[in-house]
Amino acid sequence: MLRESARTLFERAGSAGRSRMLRDAEGGWDADMVRELAEAGVFGVTVPEENGGLGMGLAAGGVIAEEVGRVIAPEPVVMTVGLSLGLLRRLCPHHALMEKIINGETVLAAAWQERGPNGGPAEASCRYADGKLTGGKAWIVGASGAQGFLVVAEGDAGPVLVLAEATADALSIDKRTQADGSSMGELSFSSTPAEQLAEGPAVRDALNEAISDATALTAAELVGVSDSAFEITLEYIKTREQFDKPIGSFQIIQHRAVDLNVMREVAQAGVREVLAQMDSETDPKRRAKLASRAKARAATAAKKITRDAIQLHGAVGYTDEFDIGLYLNRALVLSAWLGDDAYHRRIWFDAREEEGAVQ
Amino acid sequence: MTDWNTLSDAEFRKEVRGFFEAEYPEELRNLPHRPKFAEIEHWHVKLHAKGWVAPAWPAEFGGMGLNAAKLLIFYEEQQRWGVNRGRDMGIQMVGPLIIKFGTQDQKDYWLPRILSCEDIWCQGYSEPGAGSDLANLRTRAEADGKDFVINGQKIWTTMAHDASHIFMLVRTDPDTPKKQQGISFLLAPMDQAGVDVRTITTLSGETEFCEVFFDNARTPKENLVGELNKGWTMAKALLSFERIFIGSPSLAQNALVQLESFARGRGAFDDPVFRDRFAQAALDVEDHAALYSRFADQLKRGETLGADVSMLKIWVTECFQRITELMIEAAGPDGGTIGPLQVGNVNVDVLASFYKARPTTIYGGSNEIQRNILSKAVLGLPG
Repeated sequence: MLRESARTLFERAGSAGRSRMLRDAEGGWDADMVRELAEAGVFGVTVPEENGGLGMGLAAGGVIAEEVGRVIAPEPVVMTVGLSLGLLRRLCPHHALMEKIINGETVLAAAWQERGPNGGPAEASCRYADGKLTGGKAWIVGASGAQGFLVVAEGDAGPVLVLAEATADALSIDKRTQADGSSMGELSFSSTPAEQLAEGPAVRDALNEAISDATALTAAELVGVSDSAFEITLEYIKTREQFDKPIGSFQIIQHRAVDLNVMREVAQAGVREVLAQMDSETDPKRRAKLASRAKARAATAAKKITRDAIQLHGAVGYTDEFDIGLYLNRALVLSAWLGDDAYHRRIWFDAREEEGAVQ
Repeated sequence: MTDWNTLSDAEFRKEVRGFFEAEYPEELRNLPHRPKFAEIEHWHVKLHAKGWVAPAWPAEFGGMGLNAAKLLIFYEEQQRWGVNRGRDMGIQMVGPLIIKFGTQDQKDYWLPRILSCEDIWCQGYSEPGAGSDLANLRTRAEADGKDFVINGQKIWTTMAHDASHIFMLVRTDPDTPKKQQGISFLLAPMDQAGVDVRTITTLSGETEFCEVFFDNARTPKENLVGELNKGWTMAKALLSFERIFIGSPSLAQNALVQLESFARGRGAFDDPVFRDRFAQAALDVEDHAALYSRFADQLKRGETLGADVSMLKIWVTECFQRITELMIEAAGPDGGTIGPLQVGNVNVDVLASFYKARPTTIYGGSNEIQRNILSKAVLGLPG
């Protein structure tokens, strides 16, 4: 039901073709589409009903994320469901922002990571004191379209969650274009005014939970990317002829296609199982481990499927004109965000070791 | 008679597990080789007395009458406790064939003898020129008075040297437009002058496979099962349940447990490269199990499985092989040594696992054949 309505909504809007047009325009998302998604209840899917959501859990969020992935939609669905609402519904479920986000009136991006001197991730040092932020944040997805930023910073008494408006004074946003045309931002604060929303250890806990949610939902989005990339490629090898035959009649092509399909099915089954289990699991460490399992699988599969898809298309696969390249690029971006497969296997293994040591 | 299907899955699982744990002989757990019947006879007697020899057969023929869901549980528990399948060709293949296509006389005569293991069966399908291309088989059966006279050769016949009877696909009409036609299903006694069995020594040094030569061997005409020249369709009909069973996660899961305890003992986890490859293998097993559950749920809802179930076999057998290869890697300089390797207080026979994994991608329809099937039946690719 949820799957059908999400699919219909995206198909009516123009599927991957719409995503291409948006990429060619500005690389952002379509505000009308954000409102339509909101009307369908998409953003509040995991928010409890008493806080204005559908109260359906992460598995339902995964269904939507898969559909987003299928049409490589640029709208900030996973980011909103997983991160911004993931943080707010845990820390301040009655805040007026909740309703505005669920209704699609506003989009907030989450900012918690920081870049170190060698370019890689570093310990957080961004400070919040006297209503002002100082420091910087990195790897912020949705930085160009968001109306504001949910920033996790160090306050006087531990971590705080604050809201900085995108138009705030003394806030500079450095945007980098990603492979799929979306932009990722780096924020610099120099006494930037921001409103405190929550403080204390609960902020750290909520952040970790929100990251687990977003990681698993990204895995679901990658499953959708893999599904479409595979279907497009299957259609192509059935119709493209060489040596007077469809190339899909050659056994080497057939076996490669089968292997990609098996990989896709394993990823879909694994990720869906994880999302269902995360809904009934309350221990944050086990939820994080599950999310890592999902992302590791989904990224491995999506990378392999989209790259082989290019090979199976041959030269036209390397052109921008064919949609298959859009899927390759989205897979690149989603794999890198929140940790790739190698990273998550490491995290998953360490968590498994820790569980083993406890038992 | 108990209708097992009325129990909840959990109750049934408890019942099966309880019986295996209480009654299965300890010395037969996780046998590394296929036993001759004499070695497991004492277990078969118990199983027969319990009425559990044939879990899939309908109760009216002496089986447990399990539905697909319960059957899956039965096999899962069997594998979990390392219960040997016994000499089950009669149970798995001949019985269902006779129940489905046999005459009343055939049912009355053969089925009780299969259950009691008075007859021990082997399967004569493959031939030197008919492996993946099974329909290419050439072993002939020609009518001669009251008998069929059989000439030809079967190969990879598992445990033929310990079997009293063979069920076989034979060519009864050599002049058909398609080679799938003209094939019949025949039962024949092994104990006769025209049948010669030679064992084949495998890479692991075992002799469970045989060649069987037929030189004017005879079998009565009433041992034809089903219609003459319709054997191919019948053989295919038998394979439907086997296709999920052969893709079950247990072989890879058990190997992973072995790998972990061995690698831990050997300190292989100190190496980050090994850790990553272990994590990959472990996740491959977990995610395969998720896909397996999806198919198992289909069976539980009473649906028929499609050709797509073949993907389970491809994934799990190749995963099983990678796991055993990691075991060899963890063994370091012992990686070429035959027999159990002692690590702490566990013994792991690294090469035995490795060898056990190799034929899994060949038997039951090689993985390449499975890919052909998926390509045509599931992806709809031409040619």
